Amino acid sequence: MDPLQQELLELICTTCNLDDVDLDKIGPDDPLIGPESPLGTDSLDALEIAVTVQKEYGVRMDSENTSRVVLQSLATLAAYIRDNS
Amino acid sequence: MAANLLSYQGINISEAMAFGIGGGLFFGYLPFIRINGMPLVTYRAAPGHILRQIASIPGVRMHQKKFRRQDEAMAELDRALASSMPVGLQTGVFWLPYFPKALRFHFNAHNLVVYGKVGNEYLISDPVFPQPVRCPAEDLARARFASGALAPKGKMYYFDQLPARLERGPLILRGIQTVCRMMLGSPFPLIGVRGIRFLAKRLGKWPQRLGRESADLHLGHVVRMQEEIGTGGGGFRFMYAAFLQESAEIMQESLLRDCSASLTTAGDTWREFAAMAARVCKGRARPDDTYSAMAGCIDRCADLEKKVFTELQQWVKGRS
Repeated sequence: MDPLQQELLELICTTCNLDDVDLDKIGPDDPLIGPESPLGTDSLDALEIAVTVQKEYGVRMDSENTSRVVLQSLATLAAYIRDNS
Repeated sequence: MAANLLSYQGINISEAMAFGIGGGLFFGYLPFIRINGMPLVTYRAAPGHILRQIASIPGVRMHQKKFRRQDEAMAELDRALASSMPVGLQTGVFWLPYFPKALRFHFNAHNLVVYGKVGNEYLISDPVFPQPVRCPAEDLARARFASGALAPKGKMYYFDQLPARLERGPLILRGIQTVCRMMLGSPFPLIGVRGIRFLAKRLGKWPQRLGRESADLHLGHVVRMQEEIGTGGGGFRFMYAAFLQESAEIMQESLLRDCSASLTTAGDTWREFAAMAARVCKGRARPDDTYSAMAGCIDRCADLEKKVFTELQQWVKGRS
């Protein structure tokens, strides 16, 4: 996992109060949101992650479809931030 | 949806432009229509409204039909596809198997485009998914005849006549005028900017009126309607802002660019409210995340939108 992906994982865990997640077991391509996600996050968490990412990195996910694509995994989120900041 | 149908037939138009000329932005708090037992809150006009607005453009003709029987509805769909006509369908999300289970719930105003059929499967362009998806015939038939609020009754539609090109200028003016009328001029207190203020007032009182548990349920519902199921508050404000931005270039009008920026701020404020509501619903509220703070946030959205649409209305008047 690259440094930005690691930073994002920590930010997501802080934002969503995920205290009991073993960070070493999360991979960059694991699903970020939904029942298959090892983080156990849902669409309300996704919304908060989108708002936090905008505040921290100045990158807006400006439609629900963009958020769905961008929030597929840490890898897609990090790539979106790199491409748009 | 409309952009998809138009693009398939050779008229290249962005989703934002189709949304704008179709007069797509809206707000309605409609407690008499219940979705999962909760009031309908919508942040955009019904897809039918956008399509009707586009169908009323000179030279455009839309074919639209509802059905009583599943077999008739599916046969008519197959006939249209056989003549290479992409078809818009209204469906119930719950019955579409390509939706992850977590996103399947009883919402019957979900629209998608069917553009082909291979064997027993339909090829679908669904606005929720970045890639084309497939759906078995029996599931699509069930989704087209889902029962409950906003039942689709097999509704299908397609453009069977289109001009060679669309002259954007007059359509932009007409589209903006339609939205201004909805957002500022509705006599009903549940519609437009008045509706946004009504929701703010109601929401601020939910803990007292409903009790904390039910208030949180209502709040979760409003946020899901806002951000999840194609009624998205923030998202559609951003899309309309993109339409205004594109229109500013076409019309060479800086006011449209300014209005686009203000509406983006309104979209951010809707998201700020939604994030606050999400924290409350997930039991991780910060000290400032209160119902009155959320009501204040929605009131700020109303202020921002009132300013934007008043300026746009004056601009349209000045041009006509």
